[in-house]
Amino acid sequence: MNRPANNVLLIEDESKIRRFLRAGFELQGYAVSEAENANDGLKAATFSAPDLIILDLNLPDLHGSEVLERIRSWSNVPVIILSIISSEDEKVRLLQAGADDYVVKPFGMAELLARSEAALRRYFKSATENPVVVAGPLSVDLVTRTVSLNKQPIRLTRKEYRLLHILATHVGLVVTHDQLLKDIWSGNQRDNIQYLRILVRKLRQKIETDPNHPRLLVTESGVGYRLQARFEDIAAD
Amino acid sequence: MHSPLPIASKLAKPGIRNGKYQDVAVAPNTSVAPRSFLQTDIVPLLLSLGSVSLVTALLLLLEQTVAVSLVPIAYLLPVVLAATRWGIWPATLASIASMAEADFFFFPPIFSFQVEDPQEVVDLLLFLVVALVSSNLASRLRQETETLRQRERDIQNLYDFSRRLAACFTVSELISAIENYLALTLGQPAVFFAAKTDGQLEPPRCGPVPRVVNENVTSAIEASAPSVRSVIDSATRNVWLLRMVSSETAILGLVAVNIGTGSTDTLQIRTRRVDAILEEVSLTLQRIDIEKAMEDARLRLQGQLLRDAFHGTLSHELRTPLSAIRGSASVLDSIPVVQKDERIRSLVEAISDEVAELDGFIQSLLNATRVTAGGVTPHLEWTDPRDIANAAIKARARRLVAHKVETDFADELPLVHVDSGLIEESCGQLLENAAKYSPSGSTISVSVRRKQSDVVLSISDQGVGITTDERPHLGRRLFRSQRHQASIPGSGLGFWIASIFVGANGGSIDITSAGQGLGATASITLPGSAMTKPETTVASNE
Repeated sequence: MNRPANNVLLIEDESKIRRFLRAGFELQGYAVSEAENANDGLKAATFSAPDLIILDLNLPDLHGSEVLERIRSWSNVPVIILSIISSEDEKVRLLQAGADDYVVKPFGMAELLARSEAALRRYFKSATENPVVVAGPLSVDLVTRTVSLNKQPIRLTRKEYRLLHILATHVGLVVTHDQLLKDIWSGNQRDNIQYLRILVRKLRQKIETDPNHPRLLVTESGVGYRLQARFEDIAAD
Repeated sequence: MHSPLPIASKLAKPGIRNGKYQDVAVAPNTSVAPRSFLQTDIVPLLLSLGSVSLVTALLLLLEQTVAVSLVPIAYLLPVVLAATRWGIWPATLASIASMAEADFFFFPPIFSFQVEDPQEVVDLLLFLVVALVSSNLASRLRQETETLRQRERDIQNLYDFSRRLAACFTVSELISAIENYLALTLGQPAVFFAAKTDGQLEPPRCGPVPRVVNENVTSAIEASAPSVRSVIDSATRNVWLLRMVSSETAILGLVAVNIGTGSTDTLQIRTRRVDAILEEVSLTLQRIDIEKAMEDARLRLQGQLLRDAFHGTLSHELRTPLSAIRGSASVLDSIPVVQKDERIRSLVEAISDEVAELDGFIQSLLNATRVTAGGVTPHLEWTDPRDIANAAIKARARRLVAHKVETDFADELPLVHVDSGLIEESCGQLLENAAKYSPSGSTISVSVRRKQSDVVLSISDQGVGITTDERPHLGRRLFRSQRHQASIPGSGLGFWIASIFVGANGGSIDITSAGQGLGATASITLPGSAMTKPETTVASNE
C-alpha cells in the first residue's frame, strides 16, 4: 500500500527521549511532530490529525491516562503508551481505557516500531480489502473462518477459533485477559482465567511448532496475550 | 464531686468491676458532716459568752444615751459574730446569754430576771427567735463557705497535678508524678508497682512497704480480680488503698497509697481525693496512648513518603536517561552503515548491554525497597509455569547471550496459582546468578517439572558452585561470597529478593551444589494447584 507517510505525534516531556524517537521514526519513513506537555499534545492531536500518537504517562501538566481519556472521547487514533511504571495492573487499566499498546522504559526502538506498525495496521484495516491475517506461517481468513498453518488447513474448536479470531484482529497488539474472557465466554466466566490458560495451551498445540516455546501466541505476564505479526519481533529484542 | 465507684471502675481493668469491693464505705453526701455539741471546743463557747458580756458592759456605760428599745438590736451583734466565726452552738449559747443579760440589766425590775411589762416579755422572746434564726442562717453560710473553700483547694490541687501530668510524655514520667503528688498531698508515702510484660509486678522503686500490703498486691495480681481494695497495716493502724492503674490498652501497674489513720470521715475524704487524682491519671494515660499512636502513625507515614520518593526518584530520574541511552543505541543499531561495520556495531551492542545491566540493578533496588517496606502482596492468578520460565528467559536474554540456555518442560504441567510477575522476577534473578557465576559458553538448563502436587522450576549451571562455608549465608541480604567479591560484580540483593518473592507466593527456593566448581542448581518450588479435573475439561469441550 502506497500511502503517504504516516504522521506520528510524540507527546513526551523529556527532550532526550523525543530526540531518539524522532530519529527512529524518521528512519522508518514516518513524519514526526512533537509536543512537550499534555496541553500542546491535545492541541496537536486535534489540529494536525496524526495517524499515531506516542504518549508518555508522566507529563508535567496532566497525567497521561487523563490525556488518553480525552483523546478517546473523540478519536480512535492509535495510542501507544510509554511508561516507567511496569505494574501489570497499570498496564491493564491503560489498555482498558483505550490504549492500543504500551512499551515500558527503557525500550529498544525496534519494539516500539513493531507495536506502532501493528497499531496502524489495525487502524487502517477497515480500509484494506484483505480479510486474511497472516502471522508467520499462520494465516487466518476472518471471512471464511478458515485457519491454515504452512498452507495446510487446520481444524480448531469453536472456542479455539474465537480466541484466535480476537488475537488476529489485533495482530501484533496485546489483548487483555479480561477482554478475551469477555469475548469468548460472553461474560459468564470472566473470573476464571484458568479456562483461558487451558484454551491457550490447546491452541498452541495446534499452531505452534514447539508449544513449550511459543513464537506466535505469546504471553504478556499478568496482562494478556499477543499474536506476533512477525517472527523478527522476537529476535529484535 | 463524683462518688468513687465510677472512678474506680475507670481505673480498673475491664471485667473486674464485679470483683470483691472491700473499700471503706463512702457516703454520697460530700458536705462536711454536722458535728455534735459535745465535740464542740469549749473555747468558742467561752468566746461567745465573753462577747455577749462585752456588749453588756458597753451598754451599761452608755446607759444614759441609748434607748432601752435598742438594747436587743445591740445584742444581735455578738450572736451573728458567734454564728459566723464559731458555728451554730456558740451562736445559740450567745442568743440565750444575750436574752438573759438584757433581761437582767436593762428590763425593769433591773438586776432581776423577772419582767414586769408583758410587752417586754414579748420583745425578749421575739429577740430570742430572731437571734436563733439569724445565728442559724449565719452559721450555715459559714459552713457552706468552708465547704466551698475546701473544694477550691482540692480543685486547685488537682489543677496543679493535671498541669504536671500535661508535661508527662512517657509512662515512667507519669509514674513518678503520681508517686510524688500522692505523697505530697496526703503527706504519706505512695508506691507504684509497675506491671511487667508477663503480667507480674515489679517491686516498687522507692520506700518500704508493709508486708501485708505486699501480700495483698501479690494476691490482687494473682487473682487478677479486685483491683480496688483497702488494707489495714496492723502494726501502725494505717490504711493503704490499692488501685490498679491502666490505660485502655494496657495495665500499667498498681499503686499503693498510705492514707493514714483517722475517723471514717477522714478516710472517706482521702479516698475520694486519691480517686480523683487517679482519674486524672487515667485521662493522662489515654492521652499518652493517643500520642503514642499518633507518633507511630506519623513515623509510618514519613517512612512511606520517603519510600515513595525513593521509588519515584529511582524510577524516573535514573530510568529516563537510561531510556534515552538505550533508545538512542537501538536507533543507531538500525542504521545500515552501523550494521555493516562490525567494530561500530559491537560498541553499540556494548552500550545496550551495559544499560540492560544498570536497569537490572535498578530493578533490584526497587524490589529491595518493596521488600523492606513489607509491601509484597502477591496478586495471585492461574498461570502456566512454562509461560513464567519463558518470560524470565526472554527478559534476561541480553544477560544470557554468552550462555547456551536449554529448557526442558514436562508434559501435563498443572497451572500454578501465583503472582506471575513476582515469580518471573525471582526466576530472572536466579538466571542472572547462574550466568554470573558460570563461564561463558557453558550451558544453563531450565526445567519445569511436577513433583507430586507441586511444580518445581529449576535452573542449573556449570559454574563455580557453592562451598559448605557459603551455604548458610545464602538468602541473607547483601551477602556476597569472599571468593567472588573482586571478580564478579553484584549487589548481594538478587537471591534475597528472589527468596522473599517466592516466599510471598507460598513457595520456597532451594539451592544444591555438588561442591566448589561443580555447578549449582536453584529450584523454585511452587505449591500445586487445587484445580480439579472437571474444570480442566470445561475449556476443551468445544
